[in-house]
Amino acid sequence: MQTLVGEKMKNKKAQLKIQQMAFMLMAITLFFALVGMFFLTLQVSRIRESASSLEEKNALLLVTKLANSPEFSCGNSFGTMGTSCVDSDKVMALKNNIGKYKNFWGASSIEIRKIYPLSQSVECTSSSYPNCNLIKITDEEITSEYSNFVSLCRKEFSDGETYDKCELARLMVGYNG
Amino acid sequence: MVKRSKKGQEEMVGFAMIIIVVAIIMLVFLGFSLRKPQAENVESYEVESFLQATLQYTTDCENNIQKLSVQRLISSCYKKEQCLDGRKTCDVLKTEMEGILNESWKTGEERPVKGYDFKIGTDKNETLISFSQGEITSSSKGAVQDFSGGIEITFKAYY
Repeated sequence: MQTLVGEKMKNKKAQLKIQQMAFMLMAITLFFALVGMFFLTLQVSRIRESASSLEEKNALLLVTKLANSPEFSCGNSFGTMGTSCVDSDKVMALKNNIGKYKNFWGASSIEIRKIYPLSQSVECTSSSYPNCNLIKITDEEITSEYSNFVSLCRKEFSDGETYDKCELARLMVGYNG
Repeated sequence: MVKRSKKGQEEMVGFAMIIIVVAIIMLVFLGFSLRKPQAENVESYEVESFLQATLQYTTDCENNIQKLSVQRLISSCYKKEQCLDGRKTCDVLKTEMEGILNESWKTGEERPVKGYDFKIGTDKNETLISFSQGEITSSSKGAVQDFSGGIEITFKAYY
């Protein structure tokens, strides 16, 4: 009788121990799962941040690439082989023949807006050029836009002489989707 | 009694072991999360393009040959020369740069650019012109342009 009671007590103690162990294991698993989730969230937000920054850099690089492409760049026409220099006479010629460049750059909208010296907002057409401040090369619906500084240069005629006139502008590239 | 205290000791050792393991794992995670991302030095396209475009800007200051670009105006200012109409090149440079900076980098708390610093200096620690606007924050994008003759242009935009 006594041994039976002793055995039952031992069984109960062992059950308690197993229960204790199970609770401990569950608590540790839960703890690690929570910690893991916390770090996972942190990492995902970091990856998202770096993805958006990469996207921005890529778009900015595309703007710079566009400014230095033969259709836009000044080349040697303005004395120096300057980077970020756009020939506005070339751009106006391109604007009038933009149908031939459909989907060539993969951008939905390309515009050049003069920012200095300040002038009234007038869109550049064959009749208003060069007394205007906005050259719309392509103009479609966009969802995101990136821009970079460029120097907008042209040959100006004054007092019987031709000279180079460069103004400060922003080349804006818009994308859809 | 001896058996009971031995069991208690075993449990304590087990508990201590778990705490040590958890602490080590936490330290490893912390080490990973505190590891700094690689320094990014490709972020200043906009600032670099701004400097390049500004240097090519044609001012209304003329010498005997041509209208001067900002780049030539800086050299003339360094040599303390005058425009054909009698204005000091340094005064023209200051006015033009002020206008360019005000129109290109609009600062404010609600704007992405919080402030900027612009300086044209020489290797003799002489400052030709210097502009500062807005507040200085911890994140910035900057560019430096060196010229022959020891002239250096520094621009920093704070975000």
